[in-house]
Amino acid sequence: MGAGFVVGVLGVLILSHAAYSTIQYRSLLKITDEQFSGPPINVVMELIAGLVLCMWAALTVPGNFLSILPHSDENRVVALPSNLDFMIFNHRGKAFPLSIDAK
Amino acid sequence: MANLGAPGKTASDITDELPTFNVENMQNNAKIIYYSRTFMSIIGGVIAGILGFTGLTGFIFYFLVMAITSVGLAAKAGFSVHSYFDGWNRIILDGFLGGLLSFVLFWTFAYDLVHIF
Repeated sequence: MGAGFVVGVLGVLILSHAAYSTIQYRSLLKITDEQFSGPPINVVMELIAGLVLCMWAALTVPGNFLSILPHSDENRVVALPSNLDFMIFNHRGKAFPLSIDAK
Repeated sequence: MANLGAPGKTASDITDELPTFNVENMQNNAKIIYYSRTFMSIIGGVIAGILGFTGLTGFIFYFLVMAITSVGLAAKAGFSVHSYFDGWNRIILDGFLGGLLSFVLFWTFAYDLVHIF
């Protein structure tokens, strides 16, 4: 969680630096009175780097995928109803031999 | 034979005709996809604004970013989609157009910041 977040913040910082570079490039073009056809190549490289970093952060920060199959290994815990009114402890189970079923 | 009552689980003695899933995890996975796509729509909008796209080119860029996000999500699921989702449509098409408005918002925002002011 922490590392992915830092990567995302870094990606956003790189993007804002690229935006600032493009603003400066445009003011330079205004001085020389040219048309804006595209940002300079180093800004494009910065944008691709920022995109890759933000993509990595977008895939790792929200969390892992959890398995939805009911019989998979990590879905073994059964959700028993935890309503105390219906739990009965004084039954014939104490007459049975104790068998511990551990996988 | 007691029915355990947990969402999506049936007693294994009963032959189930319908495949049952753990609904809580399905919702968790759908939430992850939604967050990832929304964040990538916003980032894609900022990049489209900085690059100076206008008109149809920007929307093509949005679909490109969404396609890359789909591939990224499929890779995150290890390409074994059926143990995390109930079909390929969930991971590829779900939420495809949901981020479009966020994309346009940040696209115009970044374009104004960089090219107009």
